[in-house]
Amino acid sequence: MFAIVDEPLDVGAMIGGAQRPDCGAIATFVGTTRIDEAEGASVEYLEYEAYRPMADRKLEEIGAEIEERWDVGHVCIVHRLGRVDPGEASVAIVVAAPRRGAAFEASRYAIERIKQVVPIWKREVWSDGYVWVGSQVGTRDKASH
Amino acid sequence: MIKVLLFGAAADRAGTRETEIQVDDGVTLAELWPLLAERHPGLAPMRHTLAFAVNGEYARGDAGVSSGDEVAVLPPVSGG
Repeated sequence: MFAIVDEPLDVGAMIGGAQRPDCGAIATFVGTTRIDEAEGASVEYLEYEAYRPMADRKLEEIGAEIEERWDVGHVCIVHRLGRVDPGEASVAIVVAAPRRGAAFEASRYAIERIKQVVPIWKREVWSDGYVWVGSQVGTRDKASH
Repeated sequence: MIKVLLFGAAADRAGTRETEIQVDDGVTLAELWPLLAERHPGLAPMRHTLAFAVNGEYARGDAGVSSGDEVAVLPPVSGG
């Protein structure tokens, strides 16, 4: 299952949906909002946007790449859009596989590929302005050059 | 008419998320860029960081675009 949603992620439900009698391992990766601090300012929240439906299709392609490379029984990737507050999940990946090696490797592969090819962008909103991650464009003095 | 969608930092720099550009059929993405950058000068310094998609798939500068196509201007992705 691959989805892009506007509401908080239900990781427990994703793990429950991955439990299968033919799999002996479920690996889960959850990306969460971290409060960075610099020069007396700090991140207050992250805000995500996506180019849809291309982003949805790219998530499905990552799932297909995983199934080509590893023996897995279930792959679920859900990415959240909009405002994500500190500690909340922006992305969750759940992979079930007969053996743990494939589950670990495939879940790691999924997050690295998301960061390479899926057209989703995040903006860090700081106490003193914002910055688009990866472009260093924004309203913070350090970022806008 | 080509519909151009802008995202993230590109939308920020351009001051818009969507625009339309009139071009001759068969023009390439590389040829479309100066028209876009002229209309939205804030985009010009970002050129080397940008990727493009045509109708929802990544495309190189030599890709042709025609009236009715959707071109997306994609800054470095930062999901996760």
